Amino acid sequence: MRYAAGLDIGSKSTKLVFLGQDQIAGYYVIPTGGNSSKAGEKILELGLSDRHLGQDDISFLVATGYGRHSVESAKKVSEISCQARGIRSLFPEAVVIIDIGGQDFKVIKLKKEGTILSFAMNEKCAAGTGRYLELMADIFDMNLNTFAKAGDTASDGVEISSVCTVFAETEVISHISRGAEEKEIISGIFTAVSKRVYSLAQRFIGDAKSVVFTGGVAMNMGVAKALERVTGCDIQIPAEPQISAALGAAMIAREQMPDPEKGD
Amino acid sequence: MGKSAVHGLERLNDLYNRKESVAKEYRKQGKKIIGYLCYFAPPELISAAGMVPYRIMGRMDDEIIQAHNYVEPLGCPFIRNCFEQDLKGNLDFLDGRIIPHSCDTAQRLYGIWKYYKSASYNYCLNVPHKVTPWSRDFFKRELHFFKESLEKYGGVEITDEALRNAIRLYNENRAMVRELYDLRKEQPPRLSGSDMFKTLIVGMAIPPEEFNALLKEILAEVKNRPRGGEMLPRILFWGCIIDDARLFELIEESGSWIVSDDTCIGTKSYLRRIDTSHGLMEGLAKGYFEEFRCPRTDRGPDIHRFDYVLDLVREYDVQGVIGYTLSFCDPFKLDYPDMRDYLSENEIPMLLIDDDYSLSHLESIRTRVEAFIEILE
Repeated sequence: MRYAAGLDIGSKSTKLVFLGQDQIAGYYVIPTGGNSSKAGEKILELGLSDRHLGQDDISFLVATGYGRHSVESAKKVSEISCQARGIRSLFPEAVVIIDIGGQDFKVIKLKKEGTILSFAMNEKCAAGTGRYLELMADIFDMNLNTFAKAGDTASDGVEISSVCTVFAETEVISHISRGAEEKEIISGIFTAVSKRVYSLAQRFIGDAKSVVFTGGVAMNMGVAKALERVTGCDIQIPAEPQISAALGAAMIAREQMPDPEKGD
Repeated sequence: MGKSAVHGLERLNDLYNRKESVAKEYRKQGKKIIGYLCYFAPPELISAAGMVPYRIMGRMDDEIIQAHNYVEPLGCPFIRNCFEQDLKGNLDFLDGRIIPHSCDTAQRLYGIWKYYKSASYNYCLNVPHKVTPWSRDFFKRELHFFKESLEKYGGVEITDEALRNAIRLYNENRAMVRELYDLRKEQPPRLSGSDMFKTLIVGMAIPPEEFNALLKEILAEVKNRPRGGEMLPRILFWGCIIDDARLFELIEESGSWIVSDDTCIGTKSYLRRIDTSHGLMEGLAKGYFEEFRCPRTDRGPDIHRFDYVLDLVREYDVQGVIGYTLSFCDPFKLDYPDMRDYLSENEIPMLLIDDDYSLSHLESIRTRVEAFIEILE
């Protein structure tokens, strides 16, 4: 059995998916750290040894994410195309995808048949991204899991008006000092993230009733609920939102593989 | 410039990398170098006065530091960067400086620039903001004032013969540039958009007769190239001023050909000739104002003002448009949604890159450009 592999080297974490003929044969997530080329090598070693495979068992590799150009042996595909492929395989009806990653967020609009109609990304500012949430969790001295749970409420929380990460931090600290309830502040942060994303996504959502939410931040249920309130749409989340772009990359890789029926 | 060992595109790259030092060489020969910001000041008039026109450009890889002391940061980053270059002494080879009222930042910077770092010749050219027969006549009159001021500064008379000759030289530039553009209609083209763009940048830094010589070499070289490069999606580039080839190179490295454009260092300046059949100044007023389609000049809200872009799309067999806007550039930013919708109605996708004239987030731009090209494939 030979596998197609999709490697997604993101700003925060690196993801790998092995794909057999019909299903995912294994997936891995590690932190990217300061060297994207090393992260790619490391996760491939990890995956291969975990599955007791050699290099030859991987018939085709597609790399995506910010670090894709550091993987010489791979075909490079942008994470926007990979995300669209991966999400369509999980949600065949998906039309709008919101992907919030470590340093950016993207909104992708698909045509009925699944190809990309249009997309948009945040400009060079961390507001509304995973990095923003990490900084905010630091203020409360919480890890990301505890932070997500603390803000998982049905409330919009306190008003955090600023769209800038640095100024939002100041705002949060002033809410703390005037004694606002912790979960209200954290809910407010999640609402602010959702509004920020919605400002870009609004044009794409149109009259769509549901939106697929993916990327590392989609593991945060507090943000997912806030996004539901802000967009007024059903929010669908993959079981493993971190790996959907790597899955798409693996699917593109599988297409490049020789057809086993023809036996070459 | 003397005999040089390199020719054509190799010579082009050399000139592109040292355009300022080339201008300095002309100055050593005793020529006056006159900088002009923006397209509205016709270089024909400067050439006809026996001086060397030099289009003032910024340096995208150079951070604005000193200019912050004189201009607030909420203004056009390109114009602030040009001023920064002069404050750093990088434009000291300019004897004079012409700033047309192309936009408000340019016009206000004229005063600041003249006050804090005056050149031996400073001129602000008044350019109307709406196209009407009266504003065309007004601009024509302004060109006469500009001519008189150049004559006074240079101690020369700009004769009709000298002006006619200068217009002829620039029209020769335009004719050869058009020929190069025509060659890019081939699929695949034999000349990249990046090399075309560098050619035009160099053309705005050297005298027109020198540019004619360079264009001849490039044309000969490109025509001799064998056909058959890679078949890739064809892009039209639209947007604000850009004077650095890196973005063009990134777009083409990502798997496309830039085959046409709607930019001021591009088709806007070069695809039409100056028609002197109704008079020299009449021809300049028409070419540099009435027919020069910069969004800073109001042509009414009708979306058909973009028909010419669709014509370019069809003529050059373009699959997608990549736009580039600068922070605080209202004329372009306010045109963008209309342009995007108009192209979308005609099933031409468009990607917008918004920047602060620094290209500092080049890798994030690369992701967008690659994804956009993947859509076109």
